[in-house]
Formats: sequence, structure tokens, C-alpha cells
Amino acid sequence: MSWQIVVESAPYLLRGALSTVGIAAAVMVLGTAGGIILGLLNFTPWPWLRVAVTAAVEVVRAVPLLLLIFFIFFGLPALGVKIPTFPAAILAMALWMTVNTAEVVRGGIQSIARGQFEAGRSAGLSEVQLMRYVIFPQAVRRMIPPFVGLCTILVKDTSLAAIIGVFELTRAAQETIERTFKSFEIYVTAAAIYFVVCFPLTRLGQRAEARLHRT
Amino acid sequence: MTPAGAGFSWSAIARGLPYLLEGAGLTIVISAVAMVVAAVLGLGLAALSQAPGRLARRLVGAYVEVFRNTPLLIQIFIVYFGLPQLGLKLSPFLSGLSALVFYAAAYNTEIFRAGLEAVPRGQLEAARSLGLSALATLRWITVPQALRISFPALGNNLVSLVKNSSLVSTIGMVELMFVANDISFNNFRSFEIYGATAMIYVLLVLGLTRLLRVAERRLLRAT
Repeated sequence: MSWQIVVESAPYLLRGALSTVGIAAAVMVLGTAGGIILGLLNFTPWPWLRVAVTAAVEVVRAVPLLLLIFFIFFGLPALGVKIPTFPAAILAMALWMTVNTAEVVRGGIQSIARGQFEAGRSAGLSEVQLMRYVIFPQAVRRMIPPFVGLCTILVKDTSLAAIIGVFELTRAAQETIERTFKSFEIYVTAAAIYFVVCFPLTRLGQRAEARLHRT
Repeated sequence: MTPAGAGFSWSAIARGLPYLLEGAGLTIVISAVAMVVAAVLGLGLAALSQAPGRLARRLVGAYVEVFRNTPLLIQIFIVYFGLPQLGLKLSPFLSGLSALVFYAAAYNTEIFRAGLEAVPRGQLEAARSLGLSALATLRWITVPQALRISFPALGNNLVSLVKNSSLVSTIGMVELMFVANDISFNNFRSFEIYGATAMIYVLLVLGLTRLLRVAERRLLRAT
């Protein structure tokens, strides 16, 4: 055991961690926007669109993220579409975040009591107004705990980008180990850094969940 | 070997399919074995955290939080690349399996703990007033009810486990993802092979989800 190595490589690992946070933030923005749109499509008046969205979300959600990354990075070039590592990883993770957020949005809206829909309609609101002013604001509160849980998983899963060579915390750890051969110390340190980011998120999710049940 | 790039090749899928299905079989076996061990471990730890005194509860809580808040990939790397440095060298198979077990067990512990705590207090008081010992209460009253409460969440965890098992391919443990990589790096038909692999995962996951839903309904009817 040599923890001296950890001190020496800390700045490099922290640079990786910064990249991890940046990637996660970018994916969160893209995936949340995409997920809200996709989730709301479940409540449009066109049955064919609802069926298509539900099927697409269910199918993509069933595919492991690692396979989504490999499909986009190794699979698409075979068709002549070459995407560099960084955008390929972002694209795959944003797709993953989009379908999972869509599921959270759908679940949140469906959990709102039918009476709320009926009351809104009988008050003369259009379907868009009903969603915008009555249903969505109530549903958002119920979406927050699962959404925060999703964000925690996302931060952990950004580690998969390292497999195709994207620079982030796990890649930084691998590069450090290639130089120092201290895999145990370095990976444990990387795990500790992930923990520092993820644990507060988990707690935040638990607190949101508790607050939801209190009211 | 066919050159890459020239159109979609169904024959590449046809040739790869038997190997992919074999890989899918391994994914099922690995997930099932890992889940069974992780369920036993999780139930044991959850029961332990109900023990009097704070120490057991704190230790179990620390295990759950550490394993749930760090990436599975890093946990796999620590077992496979890190532990040999401490003199514990495991094969890719044992490394991958044990990493999956400890990761899934952390979630299962939390699921069972919530399940145990959701059993109404009146049940415990009734058991006590009937003269059941603490252990007998756990065995005959609390655990059976907690299992029923926990079932849906356990099912979700199993579905996650099937998907997460793809990560052990990175240390050379043979399962569906490993087979897919192996084939597509050799025939360069990565679009077709990864596409077919994705469809196999979809069938596995959606099939499992349906199966769990049926089981859940049976379980509810039985009570």
C-alpha cells in the first residue's frame, strides 16, 4: 500500500472528476429536456403517437447503457456515420437519460387523481392549459424523488464513457494506474470521489421523498 | 470474412446468433445466481440491522451507502485489478460475479429493510403476546410479510442486474455483451451484431418484466 501515490495523483483525478461532473451536467440538461417532451407525448390525443412513444421508451430502456454506447460508437461507423468518442458517449447517455426521464414524467402525471383532470376540463380549460396549470405543477413534485435517483445513477454511469476512452474520473484513474501500477489505491480513491458526489444526491432524493409523504 | 461497410448484412446476424444466444444464456445464469446470493445476503443484513444496539445498524448502513453511491464499474475494477495487489487474486468469473453480488445486495438490503419496517407494529405486538421469541417472530411473522412487500422492488433490482451484468464483459467475463464485442471486433459487422444484441436484451428484459408482473399478481391473490 502506498498512499503517497494518492496524494501525488490527486490533482489529475480531480481534473477527471471535474470532467465527470461536466459530462453528467450536460447529459442531465439534454436528457431532462428530451425526457419531458417524450413523457408529455404520452398524453397527446393521437393514439398512434402514444403507442409509438411508449414502445420506443420501453425498448431503449431495456438496453444496457454500455451497449447503447458501443452501438453508437462502434455500430454507427459501420454505416458510414463516424462519431468521435466524446459526442458518442454524450449522445448515448443523453438517450438513456431521455427515456428514463420520460418514464418518470409519465409516472408522475399518471399518479395525479382523475378528479383533477375532470375538474380542469369542467372549468373550461383546454387540454394544454390543463396540463400547463393544473396537472404538471402537481406532478413535478412527485417526479423529483425518482428524478434525483436517476441523476445519481447517471453520475455513476458516466464511468462507462471511460471504456471508449472519454476522459473523466474513471479514465483518469486508469491512466494513473498505467503509470503507477497502484490499482487498488487509485480505484479506491476514485470510488471515494464518486461517493462524495453521489451521496449528497442520494440524501437529497431521500429528503424529497420524505417531504412528499409528509404532505 | 466479409469486408465492412457494404450494406446491411442479415447473414452476419444469422452467423452470430447462435453465439449471441449462448451469451444470453450465460447472462441469465449469471444474473440468476447473483440475484439469489444477493437476496440471501440482503435479507440477512436487513435482519441484522433490526438487531438491538446501534453498531449493527450503522455498519449495515455504511455498506449500503458505499456500494450504492459508487459506480459498479469501479467496484468491478477494484475486485479484479485492485485486490490482487493485496494478495487476493480471483478469476474474471469470480471477480465479476462477486462484484455483481455485493452491488445488488446493497440495494436488496435497503429493499428488505424498508419491507421489514413496513410490517405493521401490531403484528409484532400480537406475536409477542402469543409468546413467540424474537427469532420466531422474525421467521414466522415479519420476514414472510416483508418478502411480500419487497417483491416488486426486488423484481426491479433483478431487471437492473440483468442490464448491469453487461459491465463484467470489461474484465473478460463471458456473457452476452462479451460475446457481442468478440464477434463484432472480428467480423466488423458491429452495427448488425450490436443491433441484434440490443434486441436480445430487450426480449430478456421485457420478458422478465412480464414474468415478474404475473408473479406479483399471483402473490397478491395468495394473500
